[in-house]
Amino acid sequence: MALDQVLVSTVIFASLYSLMSIGLTLTYMTTKVPNFAHGTFITLGIYMGYTAFHFWGLSPYISSPFSFLLGGAVAVGMYLLVLRPLSARGVSLVGLMIATFAVDTIFLGIVNVYAGILANTYHVGNSLTIIYFIADFTIDGIKGLFVAAPAFLAALAVGLYLLLMRTKFGVAMRAAVENADLAGILGINVQRVYVVSWFLAGGLGGVAGSFLPMIAAGSPSTGSQLIVAIFAGSIVGGLNSIFGAIVGGSVVGIAGGLLPTELAMVFGSWVTSYSSVMPVLVMVVALLFVPKGLTTVNWRRLLRTEKKVERASV
Amino acid sequence: MAFLIFGVDLAQFIPVLAETIAIYLAISISLNLELGYTGIPNFGKALYVLAGAAFGGAFALHFTSWVFGITVSGDFYQDLNLVPTINVVIQGNPALSIGLILLTLLVAAVVGALLGFLTSYPAIRLREDYLAMVLLGSAEFLLYFLYTYQPIIGGSFGAQMFDPYAWAGPNRYILATGVAVIFALLVYLYVERVARSPLGRTLRAIRDNETAAEALGKDTVAVRRNVLMIASAISAMAGVLIAFYAADVSVPAFQRINYTFWPWVIVIIGGMANNVGVAIAASIFWTAYDVIVLSKNALANYIPFDLNYLVYIVLGVVLIVMLMVRPSGMLKEKPTHTLPSSRIRELYESMKSRKSARPPEEGKPGN
Repeated sequence: MALDQVLVSTVIFASLYSLMSIGLTLTYMTTKVPNFAHGTFITLGIYMGYTAFHFWGLSPYISSPFSFLLGGAVAVGMYLLVLRPLSARGVSLVGLMIATFAVDTIFLGIVNVYAGILANTYHVGNSLTIIYFIADFTIDGIKGLFVAAPAFLAALAVGLYLLLMRTKFGVAMRAAVENADLAGILGINVQRVYVVSWFLAGGLGGVAGSFLPMIAAGSPSTGSQLIVAIFAGSIVGGLNSIFGAIVGGSVVGIAGGLLPTELAMVFGSWVTSYSSVMPVLVMVVALLFVPKGLTTVNWRRLLRTEKKVERASV
Repeated sequence: MAFLIFGVDLAQFIPVLAETIAIYLAISISLNLELGYTGIPNFGKALYVLAGAAFGGAFALHFTSWVFGITVSGDFYQDLNLVPTINVVIQGNPALSIGLILLTLLVAAVVGALLGFLTSYPAIRLREDYLAMVLLGSAEFLLYFLYTYQPIIGGSFGAQMFDPYAWAGPNRYILATGVAVIFALLVYLYVERVARSPLGRTLRAIRDNETAAEALGKDTVAVRRNVLMIASAISAMAGVLIAFYAADVSVPAFQRINYTFWPWVIVIIGGMANNVGVAIAASIFWTAYDVIVLSKNALANYIPFDLNYLVYIVLGVVLIVMLMVRPSGMLKEKPTHTLPSSRIRELYESMKSRKSARPPEEGKPGN
């Protein structure tokens, strides 16, 4: 059975972008700070996966729990050591945003140092263009990730739905998102909710990162480069809905994969070279026209008004 | 006898360092005008610098090839004869070279102002976090677009620029540095002057309490738009100077860490709305950075990674610590002296002499 390569990579990227955007949305919903360091968790996941693969021969599927823990730990550390003290000192939103920028730069440095040591001391990779691929398993010529990534996303979506809707902690979490002060008064440990959401966000970024080298080249700056696409996914999803983030991540995945290829059939092959521009374009268009996200658009009303207009014109 | 630092001649090192400091001073001061004085968090600073370098550079190349009647064979930026031919024409002609620099700066300023005008649309309407995302995204969009789309500035190949400093011969870099330093000085004096003028007080009023400023009849929308246009024009001109200095436009060099994050670090460490602090911070920052980069080569055999990245870590930590310990920066914002102190003393003396000549009447409080 042969599947279209573009379709395969689009499905995988859509799933991975969704995982990343879910994390970003979680942290934005709870702490209300756009985290420009979200790419860090992805980069850490890539290097965790790569280290496990190279030194212990572990497939990223097996090492992904470690990537989850690493990403989650860094995210919690970032929240507890940087963002919480800063907001306790009354630093403005702008200050918090530039602090997340600083965290991203710090980890860009740390991962680059690590990659340099890997290259020069252990002769792993190339010290100039640090690009790694990890082999994926295939079934009948289909990449394993084509099944694994959407399956993980689906399981995660079900899990998050159950957590948020069916457990006491989920109710507390939603309450803390709605109104942190009121939730605190009612005895909900808001800080714990925040820490858990940061842990989840970092962990999911780490897992997405550990899967990434099986489909695309990874380097220490991969996370920083992906950050715009991750934001695009979250913004298309409305920045306040986890399920919106899945929609948004998929839109970005399609816009960067399937869409340019389809357009290339009409306009010529030059379109495909712009696939890296597409996520940014999606983000700018979304911010200009649906700043509150696709999920807030009242499609039924939109269609009805259009029908009305049609009728009026008739 | 040359002074050597890590095997590099100081006479070569200092102009390079001074050029970097000057360029970053201009960009950081323009960011200070937006962020420090007016309170517009511009997270897309790299956008304007890149636009200045790319569109200004493209203009300069197309304009010169048109004026000198150079026929280009094939793709404009692939033609290896174009730039050497221009260089031959302008090499012995300082006046023409300077004219070309000024003209390109003017074009870049217009491009920058136009971009600033476009930026003001979201900047006035969006909340800080959405604005940050829009500006960051726009900068990234232009970067990816110019990297892919070759007709503007050569895409991923980049474009070689002609050298308007070539007439200085071996002192070319010193001349280029001099131009950058003069530019930075002019920007500094201009922004300092604005800050001390009634306009400067309007900017602070808008920053501190927009509603109150509006109630007092200030057109906050127009003021913010103008600030963004001016600051963006300055950044774009800095972009042109970068392109001429390197005699090359390479799109990936204009990443957000280089031209958005470092200027932010300089402004936050130096002190918001304090240009002296920003100037000191820019000097310390780049001296430290360049010395580390120099020492990199000397230490390459002992350290298994690129020392640049230690700078990333240290500066990130410094920024966060600074935000925690001293959010106002090294030098705090000071009340501005609208008049020079000598003039104030003069006025004071004249008032005092007038007072002593005519003592206050009884029953009335003195002024």
